[in-house]
Amino acid sequence: MLAMDQGVVEEWLSEYKTLPDSAVSTYAASLKDKGALVPALYKVIRENYSDLLEPVCHQLFEFYRSGEPQLQRFTLQFLPELLWSLLSASAARDPHTSGCIEALLLGIYNLEIVDKDGQSKVLSFTVPSLSKPSVYHEPSAIGSMALTEGALANHGLSRVVYSGPHLQRETFTAQNRFEVLTFLLLCYNAALSYMTSTSLQSLCQLSSRVCICGYPRQQMRRYKGISTRLTVTSEFLVQLITGIHYALCNGEVELGSKALDDVLYRSQLELFPEALLVGNAIKSSLRGAALKSNNKEGARSIQVEITPTSSRISRNAVTSLSIRGHRWKRHDAVDLGSPDELMDISEVDEGVWPGGVGPDITPPTITISNSVTTLNLGAKAMKKCRLGGRTSKDKDKESSFLTTGRAASENTELSVKRLTLTSSQSVPKGGALTSLTRTASAVFSRSFEQVASGNAPPSSNHTAAETARYSCSLQEEGVGYLSPAPNHTQRSPSISVHLGSDL
Amino acid sequence: MTARKSGSRLETEIERCRSENQWDKIPELVRQLSAKLISNDDLGELLLGECKLQTYLKENPIKQGASPKGPNPKLVEVRKHLTAALDRGNLKADYLQEASLLMAKLCYVEGEYRDALDHYSRVNLDDMQLVGAPVYRLSMIAEAYATKGLCLEKIPVASPSLSNKNTGSPASNKGVTEREQEIITCYEKSGDIALLYLQEAEKVCLSGIQNRSPKPGPTTQDQELGYFLETGLQRAHVIHFKNGNLTQGVGRFREILRAVETRTTQNLRMTIARQLAEILLRGMCEQSYWSPLEDPPTVSPLDDPTQQGHTLSKNYSISRLIMCENTEEALLLLLISESMANRDAVLSRIPEHNNDRIISLQSASVVYDLLTIALGRRGQYEMLSECLERAMKFAFEEFHLWYQLALSLMAAGKSARAAKVLKECIRLKPNDPTIPLLAVKLCIGPLHWLDEGECFAKMVIDMGEKAAEFRAKGFLAIGLVYSLKATDASLRSTQEDYQRKALGAFQRAQSLSPTDHLAAFYLALQLAVSRQIPEALGYVRQALQLQGDDVHSLHLLALLLSAQKHYHDALNIIEMALSEYPENFNLLYTKVKLEAMCRGPEEALLTCKHMLQIWKSFYNLTNPSDSGRGSSLLDRAIADRRQLNAMTLPDFSDPETVSPTSPSTFSTISSPLSSPSSPVFFCQPPPFPPPKNPSFLPPLLPHIPHPPHIPHPPHIPDPLHVPHPPHVPHPPHVPHPPPAPTKTRTHSFLHATSIAASRVEQALSEVASSLQSSAPKHGPLHPWMTLAQIWLHAAEVYIGMSKPAEASACTQEAANLFPTSHNVLYTKGQIAELRGNIDEAKRWYEEALSINPTHVKTMQRLGLILHQLQRYSLSEKVLRDAVQVNSTAHDVWNSLGEVLQAQGNAAAATECFLTALELEASSPILPFTIIPRAL
Repeated sequence: MLAMDQGVVEEWLSEYKTLPDSAVSTYAASLKDKGALVPALYKVIRENYSDLLEPVCHQLFEFYRSGEPQLQRFTLQFLPELLWSLLSASAARDPHTSGCIEALLLGIYNLEIVDKDGQSKVLSFTVPSLSKPSVYHEPSAIGSMALTEGALANHGLSRVVYSGPHLQRETFTAQNRFEVLTFLLLCYNAALSYMTSTSLQSLCQLSSRVCICGYPRQQMRRYKGISTRLTVTSEFLVQLITGIHYALCNGEVELGSKALDDVLYRSQLELFPEALLVGNAIKSSLRGAALKSNNKEGARSIQVEITPTSSRISRNAVTSLSIRGHRWKRHDAVDLGSPDELMDISEVDEGVWPGGVGPDITPPTITISNSVTTLNLGAKAMKKCRLGGRTSKDKDKESSFLTTGRAASENTELSVKRLTLTSSQSVPKGGALTSLTRTASAVFSRSFEQVASGNAPPSSNHTAAETARYSCSLQEEGVGYLSPAPNHTQRSPSISVHLGSDL
Repeated sequence: MTARKSGSRLETEIERCRSENQWDKIPELVRQLSAKLISNDDLGELLLGECKLQTYLKENPIKQGASPKGPNPKLVEVRKHLTAALDRGNLKADYLQEASLLMAKLCYVEGEYRDALDHYSRVNLDDMQLVGAPVYRLSMIAEAYATKGLCLEKIPVASPSLSNKNTGSPASNKGVTEREQEIITCYEKSGDIALLYLQEAEKVCLSGIQNRSPKPGPTTQDQELGYFLETGLQRAHVIHFKNGNLTQGVGRFREILRAVETRTTQNLRMTIARQLAEILLRGMCEQSYWSPLEDPPTVSPLDDPTQQGHTLSKNYSISRLIMCENTEEALLLLLISESMANRDAVLSRIPEHNNDRIISLQSASVVYDLLTIALGRRGQYEMLSECLERAMKFAFEEFHLWYQLALSLMAAGKSARAAKVLKECIRLKPNDPTIPLLAVKLCIGPLHWLDEGECFAKMVIDMGEKAAEFRAKGFLAIGLVYSLKATDASLRSTQEDYQRKALGAFQRAQSLSPTDHLAAFYLALQLAVSRQIPEALGYVRQALQLQGDDVHSLHLLALLLSAQKHYHDALNIIEMALSEYPENFNLLYTKVKLEAMCRGPEEALLTCKHMLQIWKSFYNLTNPSDSGRGSSLLDRAIADRRQLNAMTLPDFSDPETVSPTSPSTFSTISSPLSSPSSPVFFCQPPPFPPPKNPSFLPPLLPHIPHPPHIPHPPHIPDPLHVPHPPHVPHPPHVPHPPPAPTKTRTHSFLHATSIAASRVEQALSEVASSLQSSAPKHGPLHPWMTLAQIWLHAAEVYIGMSKPAEASACTQEAANLFPTSHNVLYTKGQIAELRGNIDEAKRWYEEALSINPTHVKTMQRLGLILHQLQRYSLSEKVLRDAVQVNSTAHDVWNSLGEVLQAQGNAAAATECFLTALELEASSPILPFTIIPRAL
C-alpha cells in the first residue's frame, strides 16, 4: 500500500471525527470529490492485514449509523468487497483476520433489521391485481381474467412479506452467515442506482468468485485465490443476480455477463431452481437487447426504440382474442367448411320432416336460403338446433325450415344445449326460441348487407324462385308456414324481405 | 369558425373522409365541390394535394430510421396542387394553415428540411386551436409537430459538426441544449395531440356506430398511425433515454400510459408498459424510485398552458392502487402487458401463421421473462408459477417456457407437477444433464418417487462423457436413490442388494469428483449404515477437509464416534458443530442422547429446555399468518435451510420411518390444504385466538393440537420442574380409528404400511386441527412436529431417570399436538412399564403398532412384555418381525435371544446373543439414517 493512499485514508479517518453534527450533510456531499479516497479504501479492504482495516471498518460503521443517506451509501458501496473479504477468510479458516469486517457487517445488519422504534422491520410489498383499477388501467378494459385459485385469493390487494422479521445476530455462524449476507445484499440492491461502477464491478467479481472457486471453471477464469468451494444458498444467488442484472444494463456488460454465466453454472451444479429461474429469465430477456458497453464515463444508458404501433399479427390468424367469443361445440363438432360441405349435410337431411304440422299452430317461421354463404351458417345452426328441417329436392338446393310451435317448444331444451354457433363473427347466440329469431335476423341483416353491397340487382324480371333465392323471411306471427319451394310460387303473407329489382 | 359549424352536407362528408383517411373518395367529392362554387377551387387544390400526398405515403411508407429521399417525380403533382392553393390566397385562414402544414410535410418527405421549417414558422403551430377542431386537423397538427421535430433534428444548430453533441464548443453548447429542448418539446406536444386525436377519433367512431348503421368500407379499427404520429408518440422518450435522462423518460412513459386508452393505442400501450417495466427493473432501485403520483425529482419544463388539459387523463382517487416501490409498479405494468400479450397469442398451427406465431411468442416471452425477474426478486414463486402457467398457450415445443414453468413450480413447492413438466423439458432438450438431475432432486426429496428418480438418474449416467461435471452428480443421485430404496426395502436380501449398489455409485461419484464433499460424505454415510465404521470415518474426514463446516458431515462424525463408544469425543464434536449451527434441532437431539449418556440426565434436560427456548424464539418471531411456504426468500431461507432439514426426521429414533415420513412432511406443505394460508397476509393485525387451555376443550376433541397456544410461555412448563400439571388429564383411551391390533399380522407389506402410517398420522392431525374453525391453520406442520419431538425427548430423559410423572407430563404435551403419533403412544407405553403397569403398557404398544406396524422399538418392547407374560411363541414372532424390518437393531436380537433361551432353544439363542453383541459394538447412539439424504 502506497504511503500516499495511507495518507488519504488517515486524513479521512481524522476528518470525520472532528466534524460537528451540523456539518455532516455538507461533508457527505463533499465525499464525492475526494477522488483518491475510494480506491485507497478498496485497497485497505483487499489487504486484509492492513493496520488501517480496523479503523476504516469502524468509521464505515459510524457512517452507516449516522443515518445520513449519502454516508450510508458511501459505506454500502464497499459491501461487495467486504463480503468477499469475509467469505474468503472464512473459507481459508482464518477467523481472526476478518473480525472487524464481521463486526461491521453484523452492525449494518442489526441496524437494518429494525425500524426507527426498534421494532423488527418487515419488508413487504403490494401484489397488484388487475381487478382493481390503477393509474394505468381500468379493469374493464382488460377483459375477463382467468379465475384461478390464486387470482381469487389475490382479488383484494394483498401485501406480501418478502423479508423479515429477522433476529438480531451477535456473531456469524455457518448457519446464519448466508441469512445475514442475503439480507445485506437486499439492502445493497435497494440502493443500486447510487452505486459507482467500481462497486458494481466488485459485485460482479464477488459473484463470479463465490460461484466458481473450487470448481473446474476456476481454471477457465484464471482466478488464483482461494480454491476451496464456498457454500451458497439459492436466495443469496438470487440477490446476487439482481445486482448483476443492474450492472449488466448499466455499463458493466462484460463483467456482468461473465458473472451471470458463473452464477448460472453454479446454480446448475447445486440444482437451485430459484436462481436458475431468475438467471435464465435475465439471460433470455437480454438476448435481443443490444447492451451498450461502458465506453464513456460510465454512461448508464438504457435504450428504447420506436416500435410500430399497429399489430404485427395478421388479422386472419386465430388468436386468444379472436376465439374468446367462440363456443366450443360439445357434440359431433363439424368444422365450418366450404358451402359445399354444408350442402352435403343439408342433403343428408332431406326428407326429414317433423310430423306435427297442423293448421292450428302459428309458429314463428324462419326461412333461410341456403345459397348464400353467410346464410349457411344460419342454416347449419338451425339444423343443429333440430328445429326441424327439410331440404327441397329441386336443383336450387333451397332448404326451408318449418317449425311448429310445439316442436319448437319440445326442442327448446335441446336447443339450449345444442345451439352452438361456430362462428368467429360473433353471431348472437341464442338459447331460447326468441333469441333464435333474433339470430336469424342477425344472419339476415348480414346477408342483406352482402347482397346490397356486392351484387347489384341484375334486372327486374326475376322469377319467383330466383327471388326466393335471396329471400330471408322472418316471421313472428302470421300464417303457419312459409315455403319458397318452387312448387309454391305464391308467397306467404309474412314479414319477409325480398331482395330484388324493387330495391 | 371551423368547418364543422359552417359546413354544408358536402363539406361534412369531406371532413368525414379526411378524418377516416378515405383518400380515394376525395377526388370525386372535390369534383362535386367545384361544381357548386368556383371559389371552392382553392379548397379543391388543397384537398387534392393532401389526398395525393397521403396516398403516396400510404403506398411508400417511411421506415423508422430511414431518411427521406430527395425529390420524387410522383410528388410533383402534389406540390403543384398545394402551391396553387397557397398562392392564390383565397382560402379561409384555417385552410391556409392546413395548406402550409401539408406543404411543410411535403418538403420533409422530399428532404428539404429548411423549407419545411420555413413553412412551420409561417403558421405558428402553437396558436392553432385544438378545442372543437375537427378530428383530421388534430392529426394534422400532431404530425406537424412531429415533422418539425424531425426537421430540427436533421438541421444542425450552427455548424455541421454540432450534430455530435459531445464535441461542441462551450459557446455553442447552450445553443445545442436549447435546440434539444425545442426538439423534445415538439415531440412531446406531438405525442399529446396525437393521443387527443386518437381519443377524439374513437369517440367519433363510437358515436358513428350508435347513430347510423355500420358503414360499408374500411372500418376505423384498421386505422394505423403512420410514420409521423408514431414518431411523435415515441421519439420524445427515446431521446430522453438516449441522453441518459431517465427521470424525464419515465415521466413521459407514465404520461402516455395514463392517457385514456383507445383501440389504436393498445399495442403502443403494451409496448410502453413493457418498456417502462424494463426500465424500472433494470435502471432503478427502491431508493431511487418515485411513485407516479409524486413529483419527479426534476420538473419537466414543458408548461404550455394552451396545450394542457386536452388529453383525457385518468382521474385517480385514493381508492386506486398506489404504488410505492419500483417492483410493484413494474409488476402492475407487466400484468397489464401480459394480459394484452396473452390476448394476441396466435393459436393456429398452420404454416402460414408461422411468422405471426413467432411474433406473438416473442412479445409474450419478453413479458414473462420480466415477470420472472420481478417476482423472483421478491420470492413470489407461487404467483409466478401461476403466471407462467398462463404462458403455456405459447409453449408448444418451446423449451424456454417449459423449463421456466418447471423451475417456478419447483420453487413454489409444487413438486409433482414440476416433475411432470421436467419430463417434457427432457424430451425437448435431451442433452442437458441439469434437467433430469432437477427431477431426481424432486423425486428423492419431497416426492419420494424412488423408481422415477432412478429412471431420471440413469438418464444422466447414460449421457456419459457428455454430461461432464454433472456425471459425478448423476452417480451421486442414483446412489441416493439406491440408498433410500435400501432403507425402504423389507427383505434383507433386497436391502443388501441396494446397499451394495448405492455404495458402488457413491464410490463412482467420489472418484469422478474427488473435490466434492458431498460424494465423500454420502460414501461415508453409506458405509456407516452398513456398519463399516473405520472406512466411514476415513471418508467423513475427507469430506470435512473439503468442507469444514458441513453440518451433516460433523453430525455423521459424531455418530461414528459414538458407534465406537467414544461418547465424550462425539459430544465434543456435537458441541463444536452446535457452535456453528446453534439452532439445528437434529444436532440437539443427538446432544440430548449423548449428554444423558456421559454427563447425566440433568444436563440432558437442560438441553431440552434450551431447545424449547430456541423453538420459541424462532417461531414466535415469524408472523403467525405468514409462516407459509414461499412467503419470502429469507423466510424460506430460515424455514428450509434449518427447520426442514431438521424436520425430515420426525421419528427421531426410528430409522425405518425416517425417509418415508419426510415426503409427507413436504407433501402437506404443498397440499392444497395449506396453500390458502400461504404467502399472503393482509394489512391487519393477525387474529389472536383467545388463550384457552387446550385441555379445556370439549371432551370429544381432547387431543386437538392447538398450535397458536403452544409458543406462549404459560403453556410451556419447564421440563425441569414438571410436577403434576393440573391441566394434563390422562385420557384412558386415545380415540384411534382402528381397534386394538390383532396379534397375527402379515408383514409382507410392512414398509408400505409404515409409510402410510406416518401419512395417516399427519392427515389425522391436520384434520383435527382444521376442525377448529376459529383458529386458522397456521402454515406447515413442521414447527409443531419439532415441538412434539422436543417433548418426547424430554420424556425419554425422564424415563431414563425413572420419573414417570414428569415423563407423562412431557408426553402429554406432545400428545396435545399429535395425539395419534406412534411415538407418543410408544412413550406412553414406556411410562406405563415404568409404573409397573404391564397390561397398560401392552395396550399402548399395541396401539402404537396399529398405527405404525413396523416401529421396531415398539416391537422390541412388546416382545419383551410378551416374554414377561410368558407368551413365548408370540413374543418370538414379534421379535422376528422386528429383525426382518431392521436387522441392525442389537437390542431386538438380544431380546430374541432371551426368548429363545426361555424356550430352551439354546443354540439359536447363542447365535442371537452373538449377533447382538457384534452389532452393539458398532451401534451409534442414534441411527445413522437420521441424517437426511437429499440432492
